[in-house]
Amino acid sequence: MPEIGNEHDYFWDSKNMEIFKRISENSYIPATKILLENEIKATFSFSGTMIEQANEYCPEVIDVFREYFKSGLGEILDETYYHSLAFLLDKDEFINQINEHKNMVKRTFGIVPKNFRNTELIYSNYIGDIVSSLGYGTILAEGTDKLGKSPNFLYKAESGINLLLRNYRLSDDISFRFSNQSWNEFPLAADKYANWIKQTPGDFINIFMDYETFGEHQSKETGIFEFLKYLPVEFSKNNINFLNVNEANNFEGHGKISVKDPISWADTNRDLSPWLGNPMQREAFGKIRSMKDNKNKKLWRYLQASDHLYYMSTGDQSDQEVHEYFNPYKSPYNAFLYFMNIINDFESTQW
Amino acid sequence: MKIGVIGWELPPAFSGGLGIHTINIFSILNRMASITLYVPDVPGLNEKYPFKVHKVGLNYMAKNHEHTDGHNKKMESYYNGNLKFEDKIRIYNKNVIKAVDPEVDAIHCHDWITFRAGIKLKKKYGIPMVATVHSTEIDRSGNFFPQKHIMDIEREGMEIADKIIAVSDYTKKIIVNNYGIADKKIEVIYNGLDPNFIGMEPKDYGLQKSVLYFGRVTTQKGPYFFLEAAKKTISKMPGIKFIIVGTGDLINQMKKDAENFGIVKNVVFTGFVHLQEKLYYYRNSDIFVLPAVSEPFGMSVIEAMSTGTPAIISNTTGVGESLRNVFKCDFWDTDYISEYIIGILKYRGLRETMGINGQIEAKGFTWDKSAIKTMEVYNSIVG
Repeated sequence: MPEIGNEHDYFWDSKNMEIFKRISENSYIPATKILLENEIKATFSFSGTMIEQANEYCPEVIDVFREYFKSGLGEILDETYYHSLAFLLDKDEFINQINEHKNMVKRTFGIVPKNFRNTELIYSNYIGDIVSSLGYGTILAEGTDKLGKSPNFLYKAESGINLLLRNYRLSDDISFRFSNQSWNEFPLAADKYANWIKQTPGDFINIFMDYETFGEHQSKETGIFEFLKYLPVEFSKNNINFLNVNEANNFEGHGKISVKDPISWADTNRDLSPWLGNPMQREAFGKIRSMKDNKNKKLWRYLQASDHLYYMSTGDQSDQEVHEYFNPYKSPYNAFLYFMNIINDFESTQW
Repeated sequence: MKIGVIGWELPPAFSGGLGIHTINIFSILNRMASITLYVPDVPGLNEKYPFKVHKVGLNYMAKNHEHTDGHNKKMESYYNGNLKFEDKIRIYNKNVIKAVDPEVDAIHCHDWITFRAGIKLKKKYGIPMVATVHSTEIDRSGNFFPQKHIMDIEREGMEIADKIIAVSDYTKKIIVNNYGIADKKIEVIYNGLDPNFIGMEPKDYGLQKSVLYFGRVTTQKGPYFFLEAAKKTISKMPGIKFIIVGTGDLINQMKKDAENFGIVKNVVFTGFVHLQEKLYYYRNSDIFVLPAVSEPFGMSVIEAMSTGTPAIISNTTGVGESLRNVFKCDFWDTDYISEYIIGILKYRGLRETMGINGQIEAKGFTWDKSAIKTMEVYNSIVG
């Protein structure tokens, strides 16, 4: 442990490379090829950090995505470049990171995103207002039960921006439950899934998930790629069309939704607790906040990646298992100590 | 179902780990089965217990040997008196064999100190035998010159037992690897939290500048590594106190080591303490450290956690295998131990998060669970 954070060497490069290469091979590359070959429409949101890592560790990922977007099947959303909780720091910082992201997408793929999703689908009126003022047409959010609305229609936020709500049941059927043998719907095949969609009332269904679902969280041995390949076949049998976010805007709005306290797509509570739920996370985030005048803005922003806080989470047992799956340090307490070592070094350095 | 339990320690006469285990688990088991506990007749035992207690005299040989001084034969306690420890065990086991009712459905032995009687009773009457292993000679010696004659008794008892209860998976592995016992014969049943530690108030996480070692000061528990980590910590945070609560054969050596390390001013030796003081130290420390070389379970870990104090423990501490809210590292890795100590002292958020979650986690170890699982073991061997 003592090594990380010394001599300003903050990045666990070997681990980043190992993980990025593994996921590229298991997921990003084969899954995107399937989307292209089978003419499946999809909307993506990449953090800037992810694109940087792709350029460094596996440029083929960028090539595969470029080809996919050239086909016209895909759409790209904006988010914060650093996959951060910048909206909690200050408005200008949030906007800066969105603009940096916009430039990155334009540079990398020649596309200017029209729609937005915030880190981990975190949404509130406040976030909606800022994003709306930047000219985006739609923002994505979690269709949590608290809202008391069907996620299968188009809504408007207070600010007038369109709101798309994730259908978490039908999304999680793929991303969490697909290979769960104790699930009473196991095994899930494309025909069954198409049938569920057909029977679901509403204008459209928002299926949002980690892209790593395809080939990484659900390994290829689970049959996830076959499932993906057969979706268009079964969809067309049932007259179901794939929609990108921008196309969903054409549906009629079903009223306004107001969200005062931030909601997210993570853990059972669907709030900010996976990142700021315990005193340790709040201490770490407070430290980030206190350093906003630091001269090394780039490093300060890397440190804002929400994952750092996520690894420190200590929720209930079932949430905890999800966190540990993603946590390279295994223990939330180790994650905290590594992070604070780095923060202390960062703070005491004259950049 | 009638169970004859061959014990050794029983509070309040002595409150070592085995004693705490015995009183807690059999109080509950006696509601499911009829328990008779055999223990040495020593001063300090209560008149009544929540289960039948048969006190077995320890004094036969003492009578033959001397008593010119008019020494009261009742004065033989577990670890003091005229007899050598191993002689006491021999006499006790011999007397237990005579005392046990051969009509019991099973005998339940605890550690090698009671194995000889169990072995004999099983051979003589064919009574099914359960052996709980609270610790092995490998643990107690810190795997440093284990005594062969004791390991032989342990092995014979384990072999002849119908079922073995190990207090952790860590101990189960030692039983399989060092004693050659088939793993399907071994059930892992964790200890519970002593009722004295249930229902503690949430703690205030203000810095107390104090780090606690609590336990016997013996090779097994790794007090040397505590001191070495203390030295490394003090070089960066000079104002921290390191408190060693407990006593044992290494106590003088540790005092010397503290001197050699130049940290005498920072290290406090309290000697043996009773329950109220024990609670005080657990609660009024920022961190509890157990760098045990080999600890089958580690009751003190969940006790400390139940008071809200974060714990740093060795990978060779059994209870750690099912704990999330602790720091774990190798017992000898005092760089890590010190790094963890400094982190917990430095960050209130870390203290608080580990402490609060640890307090909840420790409550999950209940004697009810241990008793029910033990009952299942009885059921599996009593036809």
